[in-house]
Amino acid sequence: MYYPEPIERLIENMTRLPGIGRKTATRLAFFLLNAKESYVSELSHSLLDIKDKIKLCSVCFNITDVDPCRICTDEKRDQSTVCVVEESSHMMVLESASPGVYRYHILHGVINPIEGIGPDEVRIKELKERIEREGIREVIIATNPNIEGNTTAHYIGELLKHLDVKISRIASGVPVGGDIVYIDPLTIKSSIENRKDI
Amino acid sequence: MLHKDEAIVLFKRAYGESDKIIRLFTLTSGKIAAIAKGASKSQKRFANTLEPFNHIRVEYFEKFGKGLVRIDNADIVETNSGIERSLRRASTAAFFTEFADRLTKDRERNIDLFHTLKEVLLFTKQRELSYMDILRYELKMLETLGYMPNFTACVYCGKNVKEEMKVCFSRERGGILCSACSSPLPHRVYSAGTIPGIARIGNNHHRSAFEVHDKEGLPYMQDTGDVKRFEREAREIMEGFISFHLDVEFKSYRILKSLMG
Ligand SMILES: [Zn+2]
Ligand SMILES: [Zn+2]
Repeated sequence: MYYPEPIERLIENMTRLPGIGRKTATRLAFFLLNAKESYVSELSHSLLDIKDKIKLCSVCFNITDVDPCRICTDEKRDQSTVCVVEESSHMMVLESASPGVYRYHILHGVINPIEGIGPDEVRIKELKERIEREGIREVIIATNPNIEGNTTAHYIGELLKHLDVKISRIASGVPVGGDIVYIDPLTIKSSIENRKDI
Repeated sequence: MLHKDEAIVLFKRAYGESDKIIRLFTLTSGKIAAIAKGASKSQKRFANTLEPFNHIRVEYFEKFGKGLVRIDNADIVETNSGIERSLRRASTAAFFTEFADRLTKDRERNIDLFHTLKEVLLFTKQRELSYMDILRYELKMLETLGYMPNFTACVYCGKNVKEEMKVCFSRERGGILCSACSSPLPHRVYSAGTIPGIARIGNNHHRSAFEVHDKEGLPYMQDTGDVKRFEREAREIMEGFISFHLDVEFKSYRILKSLMG
């Protein structure tokens, strides 16, 4: 059985969303059909707005509605340091741990030759240009501590070697409140290698 | 049932919220696809061993008739640490890992291939491989897979071709052509020493790449210009053989090639 064309079209479009099957889409479509005009209008505008108003910041490549983004224009943040992350979601994690401290650079991926992703497929060239342009003095590389994240960190280190900039890598080791007994050998090894004075 | 084996991790991809999909090349069962449940959550102590290029000991559970095995435990024999030190090392490791991944079928045991992959990854950790090293291992892998190009006899008529006449290579047919067969068939003509040179490197496959000096034993090579020409032509032959005869493209090759100049 088929519903009138506009409803069919809405159902069809909603089944393309992750986790939504035809049954759920039908239920949502009828909910919207019976909902207040103002709500449906607000929903459709908010959908259009994410495409229309959200873009990448031209400085740090974070998702933003103003360019440059609010983090890049925040005068209180350290202007000489930039924290390099794989994705916007990783930036959010760092930001919630240390609100208002760092400025960021989002790579939108990591070097991963097995998947055919080389340095040109992520925003590394833009990082170098930014460091030269803004006179940044320290780069903290916060990519994941796996083979792809480490390869990316080394590549960035090599690329920036000739610039007068301090390059550091986030440490891997025993989690705060953790128990040594339950930690895998690779992490223990890293935590001993990355030990620091007390 | 539960299996214990050694394996090289070929590939990993995050799956859902916290699982990982893995492909392993195992010592006794060849390539297998696996799932590691909860691998992205830190409580699973073996999660970080399931990274590409790691050599691991693994315990996995196999349900009869199911494609994916479930990894229950894994620990490190040899980490990939060192491969991350340059893009060249990372893409060399990726290239050979793809080689083993793309040119094998699931559950085809190949102990020689396992050891060859293990060896080349170990060397890649220690140093950057030259093009000659890469070519040597490429040929060694083709040999263990039974895909070695024919450098001895004409691939069309089967007649043996004299060393100095080995100049025509057909990438479609995957080997050399004699002068009689070469005129009607598509092929490319190479310098006098190139094909015998590749064949010689291929025959030395039982020796480690590092026991053999880069230029040792290659005929017709006097100076660095000759070596450069040999490398350029050998690369064209191998690229053509892999993409036309074996019909595969390695994703990592574009990156590796850009680094070889
Ligand atoms: Zn920004
Ligand atoms: Zn012939």
